[in-house]
Amino acid sequence: MLSPQTPETKPVKLSVRNMDFRYGEKKVLDGLSLDIHAERVTAIIGPSGCGKSTFLKCFNRIHEISAPVKVSGDMMIDGVDIYRGGIDEVDLRRRVGMVFQKPNPFPKSIYENVAFGPRLFGVKDKATLDGIVEDALRKSALWDEVKDRLKESATGMSGGQQQRLCIARALAVNPEVLLMDEPCSALDPIATAKIEELIVELKENLTIVIVTHNMQQAARVSDYTAFFWLGKLIEMDLTERIFTTPRERMTEDYLTGRFG
Amino acid sequence: MRLFDTELKNLRDGIMAMAGIAEEMIELTIQALAERSSAKADRVNELDRQMDEWELKLDQLCVDLLALHSPAATDLRLIASSLKIIPEVERIGDHCCNIARRASFVHPPILSEGSLERLGQETRGMVRRAVDAFVGHDAALARAVIKNDDTVDDLYAQIYRELLRIMLADPLCIERASHLILVIKNWERIADQATNIAEEVLYILEGRSAKHPYLRGNAVE
Amino acid sequence: MAAALPFRPRRLSRLTNRIMHLALWGLALIFVLVLALFIGSILKQGWSVLNFGFLSRMPETLDAGGGIKPEIFNSLYLVALSLAIALPIGLGAGIYMAEYAGQGRALRFLRLCIETLAATPSIVLALFGMIVFVQMMGWSFSIRSGAVTLALLNIPVITRVTEMSLMAVPRELKEASYGLGATKLQTILKVALPHAATGILTGLVLTAGRAFGESAILVFTAGTNTSQTFPDFRLTVPGETLSVHLWYVTSDGTLPDAREIAAGTAAVMIVVLLALNLSVRVLDRFIRRKTR
Repeated sequence: MLSPQTPETKPVKLSVRNMDFRYGEKKVLDGLSLDIHAERVTAIIGPSGCGKSTFLKCFNRIHEISAPVKVSGDMMIDGVDIYRGGIDEVDLRRRVGMVFQKPNPFPKSIYENVAFGPRLFGVKDKATLDGIVEDALRKSALWDEVKDRLKESATGMSGGQQQRLCIARALAVNPEVLLMDEPCSALDPIATAKIEELIVELKENLTIVIVTHNMQQAARVSDYTAFFWLGKLIEMDLTERIFTTPRERMTEDYLTGRFG
Repeated sequence: MRLFDTELKNLRDGIMAMAGIAEEMIELTIQALAERSSAKADRVNELDRQMDEWELKLDQLCVDLLALHSPAATDLRLIASSLKIIPEVERIGDHCCNIARRASFVHPPILSEGSLERLGQETRGMVRRAVDAFVGHDAALARAVIKNDDTVDDLYAQIYRELLRIMLADPLCIERASHLILVIKNWERIADQATNIAEEVLYILEGRSAKHPYLRGNAVE
Repeated sequence: MAAALPFRPRRLSRLTNRIMHLALWGLALIFVLVLALFIGSILKQGWSVLNFGFLSRMPETLDAGGGIKPEIFNSLYLVALSLAIALPIGLGAGIYMAEYAGQGRALRFLRLCIETLAATPSIVLALFGMIVFVQMMGWSFSIRSGAVTLALLNIPVITRVTEMSLMAVPRELKEASYGLGATKLQTILKVALPHAATGILTGLVLTAGRAFGESAILVFTAGTNTSQTFPDFRLTVPGETLSVHLWYVTSDGTLPDAREIAAGTAAVMIVVLLALNLSVRVLDRFIRRKTR
């Protein structure tokens, strides 16, 4: 975990400047500006309804599936504007993977779940697919548990395993960024701990942004923490600093549970 | 109020109670020295026992709060600092006992009029102000206490030199003088404890350590 | 504590419960009895006729002893053809409505059209078929007239079933697919349709059953005559089906064993429909096991 003493060496992977987000007439995100560093874990915390998940989903433009959205301001990956820089959203979603709150494996076999992504992008050769599937399952600490039952249906797994399968599925297309929307909220403590361990391992090669309503989880796994409230960014800093000496009163009140 | 807030209040109140006992012990010690009263010295020892009981109780309270409530930000700093303030207060009590024990051995007085009393009162003042800073969330007061430590150190050095002179001049005073050296050493230590408490208060209030200013950014200035 | 709550005495609730239980049982029993009576009476009437010869002979126009060989073929052939036409259209429309149309006027209009078509009495569709296909297009009473008109009957049902099955696909699955970088088409083909397959298949089989039993439409479009060659796959010849044959021999009344033939035809139809319904159940279980 980063500490205030060591300076940040990693470049900025995702950056946001003055971003507004509207559902119809309602402004859900207001004037957001922040930087997310590569190969770090950035946690987004805040009370329910403050726009954290909405914000997360802006990075892979998945809102656009259900309804047209209005995004103003800049949102950039590696310096290229996500919305206006001519990026193809299908390619964006390969680069920016997502893990959802409730595990949502396809009702197919474990193998087919992980191979789904690569197949979308034209990988057909069985040997290659086998390799990709094994690699992804190893990276998400599932391989040893499922290597003998890859053909079994994914829906027969426990919640924690299913979520790790969803992570493997996302990893199979070799993303640069992994967005995690409260990935542990439906899981028991042991499964949660396994996934938190996984997050710390994965960040070696991946930029991770995790939305969580569990402050302690944010404290445990993240390098940076951003506190959102009612669609605005109140404070963002090194996790260590936010949890010991937050600058804003609101952050302090939220962390000490004295909100409202 | 939530359970956690109640417990935090208990912690603060407990520290205040402990500090109150410390101040009473200091007062009695000053008097015991002046009046050569063994009754008052005994009372100091009784109070020390109460102090020790408080220490155990409050230490446990701090650990419980950490275990059960995962405190963050100011609450966290308060509890972490309390774990350091509590033993400081307890040691103030121990030093008072050390001083009070020697009350009968420093008579008839050999020092210049009032210098010993002044040291005691300066020290008492520092302790009181450090506790006030804790209770009143007063960073300025805490800084004043830290600065005051120099005054007490100077006073200690001054009395020490005087005692050396007295011992060289009149060998009959050596026994009383050596007791007095230990007495003033203990006062000086109590002042250090008050300073440490003030430093912790600054950490609670501002989030940066006020210790060892020679090492880096100075929280005191 | 305040006055005791006005609970009903337990014995009364339990008694009511018991009575309802028995009543519902009774209703189910009545249902089974009615069904047994109905099937029984048909079998009794047609018993004399039901043998392999019945199924393999050509029908007679004047004498007793006719069979229903070509009618069986025509019934199945027409169902297959009409489904072949209706399936792509219904599936396409269903996919469009579930996945591509917005929520606005286009969708509402489409839905109105489909519901209107679905609500049209089959006799009206029959008349339409006769006017447009038999007369205007000059197809005359033929298999193709029957198949196309029958398809009109099937399309609304298949569309509705497809649309509903697709809408029942959990949003999370589609989200997961999009999240991985799938296009809309890929998501529909690889995630939504496989998930909706059970529902759609079941709907298809039930549609087939309905088409199999349809009479009014086919009287006016496929006619009451049948080709003398067997089997005749040509689309231009008339094709009397089992249901039409049943109606024809009964209303015409000239055949001496009309009643027996009608009952025998009905029995064959019931057997086919029962088999179809059972197969739905087997299919359902099979698919469910596959996706567990």
